[in-house]
This record gives sequence, C-alpha cells and structure tokens, in this order.
Amino acid sequence: MIRFEQVSKVYPGGQKALSDVNFHLKRGEMAFLTGHSGAGKSTLLKLITVIERANAGRVLINGHDIAKLSRSDVPFLRRDIGMIFQSHHLLMEKSVFDNVALPLVIEGFSHGEIKKRVLAALDMVGLYGKERHSPIMLSGGEQQRVGIARAIVNKPPLLLADEPTGNLDPKLSMDILRLFETFNDSGTTVLIATHDLGLIARMKYRTLTLKQGHVLGGEELTPSAGGLKG
Amino acid sequence: MSNKPQLTRSKLPISGRIVMFFIRHIQHAMGSMGELWRNPVSSLMTMAVLGVSLSLPAALQVLVKNAESITQSWNSAAEISLFIDEGRSERTIKSLITRIKVYPEVSDVNYINRDQALDEFQRLSGFGEALSYLDTNPLPAVVTVTPSLKYSSPVGARELLKKLEMEPEVSFGRLDIEWLERLQAVVRLLERTVLAIAALLVLAVVLVIGNTIRLAIMNRRTEIEVMKLVGATEAFIQRPFLYTGIWYGIIGGVLAWIIINLLVWYLDSALAELLGLYGSQLEMQSLTLVELGQLVALASFLGWLGSYLSVRQHLRAIEPS
Repeated sequence: MIRFEQVSKVYPGGQKALSDVNFHLKRGEMAFLTGHSGAGKSTLLKLITVIERANAGRVLINGHDIAKLSRSDVPFLRRDIGMIFQSHHLLMEKSVFDNVALPLVIEGFSHGEIKKRVLAALDMVGLYGKERHSPIMLSGGEQQRVGIARAIVNKPPLLLADEPTGNLDPKLSMDILRLFETFNDSGTTVLIATHDLGLIARMKYRTLTLKQGHVLGGEELTPSAGGLKG
Repeated sequence: MSNKPQLTRSKLPISGRIVMFFIRHIQHAMGSMGELWRNPVSSLMTMAVLGVSLSLPAALQVLVKNAESITQSWNSAAEISLFIDEGRSERTIKSLITRIKVYPEVSDVNYINRDQALDEFQRLSGFGEALSYLDTNPLPAVVTVTPSLKYSSPVGARELLKKLEMEPEVSFGRLDIEWLERLQAVVRLLERTVLAIAALLVLAVVLVIGNTIRLAIMNRRTEIEVMKLVGATEAFIQRPFLYTGIWYGIIGGVLAWIIINLLVWYLDSALAELLGLYGSQLEMQSLTLVELGQLVALASFLGWLGSYLSVRQHLRAIEPS
C-alpha cells in the first residue's frame, strides 16, 4: 500500500529530513511510526499525502508513483487516504455533521447517501446523536473522534494518523487505538505516527522507527513481509 | 500491488455524476448568496461601490444616446441656398426649379425672387435706409433646396450641392452645415471620452471584486487547507468564490440601473424646460430593459472575471502544511 524506495528529502535551505528511506507497508497491515520530534515523522507523512515531494527515490501509494502524479491528480489520490491530525483540523464554525460530511460533499454524493454514511461513521466512533453540535462544545477526545469519523467516512483504503493520542489520557488513547484496530480488521491499511512508546509496547504491531532521517525496522521486523525490495 | 496507470476520478456512475454536477452548482450559487446575506453590511458596501462605478459609464451612455437623438433630429434642417446669375429671366428660373424638383435627392424647393429678397433684407438687416440710396437692387434671386432625408447628412448634402452648382443658371451655392459638422465632432469626442472612462471604471470594478474575493479567500484559509487535505479539487474550492463574484456583479448592475433611472428622473424636468425653450419635442431617454439586461450581463461577467483572476492567484498559494 505504501512503498518507499531510497527516498530522500532535503528542505530548501539544506535541512535534511529523510535520507535513503526504504520500507513497505502492505495492504491490510497496521503499523506504528515512531521517533523523536524532528526525526522526520511528519515529513514522511507529508510525502505520503503529497504535501511535500521527495528529492530522490520513489514513493508508491496504492500503486501510484507520486512523482508521476500531476497537480490535478493529487486531490484524487488524497481521497484514498483518510488523514487524522493531532490538531484535529476541524472547522469550528460548522456542525459536527458538516465536518464529517465534507469528503462526501467533495466527492459529489447525494444528500441521502451523505446522511446515511455520516451517521454511520459517527455511530462507529461513539458520537451518534451529537451531529448537530459544534466542535467547540465537545471535549478534546470527542473532537479527535470527529476527526476520525471524517477520515473514515468515505471508506478509504489507507488511514494515516499523526499523533492521534497526543493530548489524551491513557484510557482515551487506548479507546482510540481500539477504534483503529476495528478499521484494520475490516481491511483498511493503518499507519499511526506517535512518540507514545508505552502505547506501542502494549500492542503487538510492527514499528517503524525513524532516527536522524533513517528508518529502522523497515523490513526485518515483519515475518510476512516477503519481496520487499522494489 | 498492481501498477494502475490512472487514478479513479469518481466513485459515482456517470448519470449520477451529471446530476450531482448541476445540483452542486445550484448549491454553491445559493450558498454564496447565503454567505453574502450573512454579512449584509460589508456585502452591501461592496455592491454599492460596484453600483456607483457601473452607473457612471451607464450615465455617459445615456448622455451619448440622447445627444445622438438630438443631432439626428437636427440633421434634416440642412438647407442649400442657390444664388442665381444676374440677368436670368423669370422663365428660365422657373424651368430650373422644375428641373431641381425632380431630383431624387431633393424633398422641397423654395423660390425667393429679387424683390422678395430685398424686402426680407430691409426688414431683417436694419440697413433698409442705406439700400434706398442704391439705384438698382443688388441682391440676386435665391432658390432654397431641402435635401431628402437620405441626403441630409453633411456628406450627402455636399454632394448634392456640387451637382446643383453644375446647373448653368446657378452662380454659386451655400450649404450651412458647418455648425452641424462641429456638433457631430463634439458628439464623437464625447463618445470616445465615454469609452475611455468606461474602460477605466470597468477595470475598477474588476479590481474591487478581485480584492473582495481575495479577502474572502484569506478569511477561509483554514477551511481551504482542510478541503485540500481531504481531496477537494481546485475547481470545487473556487466555485463558491466565482459565484460570489457573479452575485456581486449582478446586484451591482441592478443598483447601477436604479441609480441611472433616479438620475434621469431628476434631470428630466430641467431638460424638458431647456428643450421647451428651443421649441423641441424631444423627451429624455433612459435605459431600456434590453440595456438593463446588457448591463447586468456585463456586470456579472466582470464579477466572474475579477473573482477568477483573484482565485487563480490566491487559491493556488494556499497549501496544507
């Protein structure tokens, strides 16, 4: 689903974020991405979502070579990726319903279909009945779950989460991870970036560790990851 | 993983996509209207600026239109005076008049013989006393010719004059249309001025709308970033802004039309008085419904253009980070 081949990223100004990164996340897999702040976690996620482009190497997402995507193709790739942010990125002046409905509105679903899917997504994250609320009225954990509902509402094959448990207490963090597990069970590929090592330790998933722009555990930790090299 | 060459553009069937395309357009158009309605003060200020900017070229257009209709009605006043050689008998003059009367270019012919000319001169000039010292009548006989409508323009009348001067009895002719030519030159200058001022004001309208849309884009920066993150195309994001520009244009155009009608109504009685003094039957013309349509169509195009230029420049600059 995600394949990095000798990927390097240097920001204008010479700051080296990633160098020679290789890893392959298979369809239906769930994995953690960890490392200190500044190790390149967010850069790696930005390369997957085409917010940034690599200077060298190949990035393949869902079979598409990012380097070959034109500017007008990018929105369509992003529709296949559900993104969850630490800072939620919710629209505070819109209702919970409108926030979650946004990806469906963009894709041009009919009103009835949108309503059905939004309510189902809110039900899945445990926010059924709060669709008319404004995100400001919700707690931090609930806001995070609105963001998750928005990421999964159009059933993308790939789910990316950037520090989804950043500001939450351990119990709420665990709830949210259980949620990701249920999505993974239904076939969604999940990649979670976090520096919460305690959380990772409690769960038996593959971990990619970024250290000074290099990926450790990109290949060897997965017994089932055959034929990794591109 | 298979290497799919093409990204799936839509998960909807083609028929559903076409229907949703129109529904989205209507929703965006209505949504933009609602957005304007929610900030009535700032929206009205912008629309008022557009209305005033558009009313100026429209007012000048009304002015030109009225000036043209006045000069047209004066065109037919062109008259040619033919001075007859001395010593021609009344009979030859009569035959000349009959000949001129059958010219297709001529609508009317009048004859003033030498005695009548003298009479008229004595009455009107104030030199009556001086004339009585002369032994003979120094004035020639005059034939006045009114050209037909087709030949009443300066160019046509001049042509006719040349033809009439070829007649052997005619000593020379005079065409008093210089004032008419000057008036037409003034009208032409006026038209050109209107065009230049209109171009400047049209540019102002585009800039005002462009700037208003730029502010709207800046205000919704976070929203645009989020929309780009969840896969909105630029066409989708820019559509509400384009409709906002079109609404600004339409309402600004209607405002301009209202301003023009108020202006015409205000000037009408004063103008009627002035024209009455000149014995004219002319009535001031305002903008017709067709011209209202043209004004609104032009204004909505300008609104679209202004917002399009702004959107092109500023929407691309906003990228999620």
